[in-house]
Amino acid sequence: MLRHLPPLLALLAAALLPALGASPYVLGIGITACIFTVGAASLNLIYGYAGLLSFAHLAFWGIGGYCTALGAVSLGIGFWGGLALAGLLNAALAVLVGIPALRLNRHSFVIVTLSFSLLTALVARDWVAVTGGPLGIPGLPAPELFGLSLRSPPRFYWLALAFAALSLALLRAVTTSRIGRTLKALRQNEPLAQAQGIAPTPYKLLAFAISAALCGMAGGMQVFYMQVVDPLILDFYYFQTFLVMMIVGGAGHFWAVVIAGIVMTVLPELLRATAELRMVIYGALLLFAMVAMPGGVAGALESWRDARRRATAERPDPVTAAAS
Amino acid sequence: MNGAPLLRLEGVRKSFRGVHAVTDASFAVARGSITGLIGPNGSGKSTTIDCLSGFQRPDAGRVLLDGQDITGLPAHLVARAGLRRSFQQVRLFDALSLRDNLMQAAQAADGVGWLGAVLRSPALRRAELAAAERAWLLLDQIGLTRLAESPAGALSYGQKKLAALAAALMPRPRLVVLDEPMAGVNPSRIVEVEAILRRLNAAGETFLIVEHNVDCIMRLCHEVVVFEQGRTLTSGPPAMVRDDPRVLEAYLGVPAAA
Repeated sequence: MLRHLPPLLALLAAALLPALGASPYVLGIGITACIFTVGAASLNLIYGYAGLLSFAHLAFWGIGGYCTALGAVSLGIGFWGGLALAGLLNAALAVLVGIPALRLNRHSFVIVTLSFSLLTALVARDWVAVTGGPLGIPGLPAPELFGLSLRSPPRFYWLALAFAALSLALLRAVTTSRIGRTLKALRQNEPLAQAQGIAPTPYKLLAFAISAALCGMAGGMQVFYMQVVDPLILDFYYFQTFLVMMIVGGAGHFWAVVIAGIVMTVLPELLRATAELRMVIYGALLLFAMVAMPGGVAGALESWRDARRRATAERPDPVTAAAS
Repeated sequence: MNGAPLLRLEGVRKSFRGVHAVTDASFAVARGSITGLIGPNGSGKSTTIDCLSGFQRPDAGRVLLDGQDITGLPAHLVARAGLRRSFQQVRLFDALSLRDNLMQAAQAADGVGWLGAVLRSPALRRAELAAAERAWLLLDQIGLTRLAESPAGALSYGQKKLAALAAALMPRPRLVVLDEPMAGVNPSRIVEVEAILRRLNAAGETFLIVEHNVDCIMRLCHEVVVFEQGRTLTSGPPAMVRDDPRVLEAYLGVPAAA
């Protein structure tokens, strides 16, 4: 139980932020950090663990946004019903897209998922009767909990924080279970896993579906934060942000990606002091991170630790080592 | 070693775009035996192993494991039916620890589903406890206990071969197929690997071993199957196979009468 203590303390500290008199501006950054971290962590499950680079997550994010909005505005199931529907619909879509996309190889998976996102953006723009076309669906109502409006920054912040905590807890439970180990095993050596009785496709579909559901629900949170959903929700900016968070943090490392999600939401804001140079500095930092740490921060720490362990390790046993 | 054979191949055939890799693989592996599979390069041994383990689908013929028809089943179902194999190019999950490699090898056989895995069900805990115990036992038998927490990728080649053997044994399979377990192993250590295999066999494991090292096969096996040009040439006890003129011909390319 002790291993749960640090994240719970961090959660508690984050929950106290509004009580410590944080401004709406600061809370806004907090909300974005919560939502984007879930996006990055969901991408981490499918890419960092299962080794499948999914561009479909942009579509899942957008579809989740539209779905949650339509649930509240058109279907009469409210924000919560819409959010649940977003999760279920995206999980189902992930299975539908995943079955053909996984039939070939990891490269075709990238192409198929990318096409899916491009198509989704077209549908969002052109299916005016449902999506509202380029104008989108403005004026989304505030989420309510037991009749309590969650519009004010502290309340929406708590909502986003609870959403992030639950989503990350689910992802953590999956990745630390032997399902997570099997996903890593499949990425490293698929024939061996098959020879050990593992059917690869169901595991990959499971990871893809969970990942899609959470990313879609994060999209739902995002549009209710912005109070509008339009085709901009399918802007490549979002996917690129999740991707960068995951890669800089270290794909396949759970907490590293979570921390990167938070830091990389806050960092651009801290650089606001230098308005013109902001994105230049940010870009330079990213470039430096990629050149110096191709495995992300966590990957760099890991290889440093391995190197130290190897340096201090005893000489290998001659009996077994001689076989090499 | 009595009773019906554990594994039986009947007329297994496999071609790749007109190349007849295997034309007639027919042999049996007796329960409790160490059976060797030898033959010159290109005689179809590896394709046969791929066919019986589900990595290739045979064009014709039957594969029976303990009476059950496993012909053409995908690899993961062959594995679940109780046949585990190693690979010629040793395969391990390099980034996982040696211990996790063994735990991973056992998991598909214990019947715990996804929900049980995520919720850490009591059945999962029992299964993992049993697997951990077996992992320690096997690591002890191959002498790698002290490397249990090392990443598999950091092991030496010989250690990897032993680790792959232990992984194949994890779920208590009915049959273990080893594809060239001695290849790349230092000649001075081959006898030790032989001793490990003999010990495991005495404890009840059945092995089918593909190997180029004929001396090793002759020392180790109860039964030897000889392949030539994609078909089973002959099979029998080592002494008999060794003196078979057709075997000499297959290996040396000289007519038996010469």
